[in-house]
Amino acid sequence: MPANEMTVEALLRAHAPHAPESLRERVLGFEPQRRPLRRFALVAVAGCAVVAVGAAIVHGITRSGSSRPVAVPGTPSVRRTLTTPTWATATPPPLPSRQALQIQVGASAGADTAATKHSAAAVAGSAGRLQHTDASLAIKVSSDDDLASATTRATRIATSLGGYAQSVHYASRGDSILDLRIPTVNVQAALGRLASLGTLVSQQISITDLQQQLKTQSAEIAQLRRRIAALAAALKNPSLPEAQRVILQIRLAESRRALSQRLNARKGTISAGTMSHVSVEIGTKKSIAPVHRRGRIGRLLHDAVGFLALEGMIVLFALIVASPIALVAFGLWLWRRRSVDRLLAA
Amino acid sequence: MNAATPSLDVPRLAGRRPGFAEVASEQLDAVYRYLVYLTGDRSAAEDLTAETFEKAFRSWRRFDPRRGSPRTWLCRIARSVAVDWFRAESRRRRREETYARDERLTEELGDGLPPELEAALRELSPAEREVVALRVLLELDGPSAARVLGISQTACSTRLSRALRRLEERMSDARE
Repeated sequence: MPANEMTVEALLRAHAPHAPESLRERVLGFEPQRRPLRRFALVAVAGCAVVAVGAAIVHGITRSGSSRPVAVPGTPSVRRTLTTPTWATATPPPLPSRQALQIQVGASAGADTAATKHSAAAVAGSAGRLQHTDASLAIKVSSDDDLASATTRATRIATSLGGYAQSVHYASRGDSILDLRIPTVNVQAALGRLASLGTLVSQQISITDLQQQLKTQSAEIAQLRRRIAALAAALKNPSLPEAQRVILQIRLAESRRALSQRLNARKGTISAGTMSHVSVEIGTKKSIAPVHRRGRIGRLLHDAVGFLALEGMIVLFALIVASPIALVAFGLWLWRRRSVDRLLAA
Repeated sequence: MNAATPSLDVPRLAGRRPGFAEVASEQLDAVYRYLVYLTGDRSAAEDLTAETFEKAFRSWRRFDPRRGSPRTWLCRIARSVAVDWFRAESRRRRREETYARDERLTEELGDGLPPELEAALRELSPAEREVVALRVLLELDGPSAARVLGISQTACSTRLSRALRRLEERMSDARE
C-alpha cells in the first residue's frame, strides 16, 4: 500500500522506532545489585521489636524478683514499697522525710493476723519521733447486719483510743466509709482492732516523719525571738535617730508577724504528729472484692505487659509527633502528581 | 548479550511468571518507542529506557502478573522516569533559554516517517504523543493505557481521538 493511502495509525506503526543494539546490550547486561539499606532497615525494625520485647521481659523479671515481696508467715501476698516524695515548695526549711508502706493482703483465713502484725510493726518502727500516719483499710464482712455492727464498732474503737470519727458514710446495702482521727500513739492498737472487724482485704499505710520539720520550725522560732529581743533593746535607746527608729519598728512588727506564723505552723506540725488519719472502708462480699494474689509468673507477665504498654505509648506519641510531617509529605506528593499533567501538556 | 543472561534470570514462579530477561528482551522496543514519543528525544529516550529497565530489575520481585501485563507495568515505570526527566529538562531550559529545545527538534521520532507526519507529531503535546504511543504503537487496551496515564478511560479515549484527528488533519492538508 502506498504511503499516501495508509491511515495515520498504520503509518505510525509501520515507522515505529526500534531500540538500537547498543541499548539492548546495555539493558540486558544489568548486574544484580545489593540493597543494603533496605536489608538494614528490615533488620533494624526486627531488632527494635526484639529489644522492646526483651526489655519488657527483663523489666518483668527484675520487678517480679523474689526480693520485692516481704515474706510474712501466713500471709499469701505482701508487697512493700518505699517512696521518697518530692515537694514543690520553695521554702527553705528542710523537707520532711516520708515513708509509704503499702500492704495488700489476700482474703484468706489467717491472713489478717499476720498482716496486722506486720503493719503494726511498720507503724511502730520509729518510736520517739514525731510522725504522722495515714492508713486506709478495706474490710469485708459477710452480711449487711455485720456491716452495721462493724461500722458502729469501728467508731467505738476510735473513741475508746482517744480519737474520734471525723466522718461516717453508711449505706445499709453496700458499704460504709469512715474517716477516723486517732492519736498516733494508739494507731498501732487501732489498726489491730479495726482489722479484726472482718476479713482484711487491703491495707495501705503511709508514714510521714515530721521530726526534722519540727526541729527546723523550733530553730526558726528561737531565731525570731532573739531577733525581736534585739530589736526591742535597740528601740529602747533614746539617742536613736527618728528615721532609724521607724525602720527598726517596721522590722520588729515583721518579725513578730513571722513569729506568729511559725508558732502556728509548729502547732500544726505537732497536731499532725499527734493525731493520725485512718480511713476504713467496710463492705459486704458484693461490694468489696478481695485482692487476687499473683504468683511470680503472673507478676512477671503483668509487669512485662505494663512495660510493653508503656513502649506502645511512646511509639504512639512519636507517631502523633510525626503525623504532621507525614501529612505535609503526602500533600507534596499529591502536588507533584498534579503537576505532571501540567508538565506533559505544555 | 542475549536474553538468557544469567544475571537477569530471575527465578520463575511455578511457570506462570516470565523471567526478567525474557520480559526485557520482549518489551525493550515497546518501552523505547513510548519514551521516544513521550520525550521527542531519541538520545534521552535511550537513557530513560535503560533507567526504566534498571528500576524494573530492582523491583521485579514486586511485579504481580495478576495486576497487569509486563508492558503496562514497564510503561508506568517509564512514565515515572520520564516525568523526572521532564522536570529536570524544564529547569534546564529555564536556565538555558530555548537553545536545547531547538536542537532537539532536528531528531526524528519514527524510523522513516513521512515528513508531514513527523511535523504533525512534533506539534502535539507530550501528553498527546504519549497516548498515541500507548494506544497505537504499543497497542495497549483502553484500561491499561488509562492506568499508565493515571486518568480515566474516557479521558484517555478523548485525548487519543483528539490527537489522531489533529494528525489526520495535518496529513490531509499536506496531501492536498
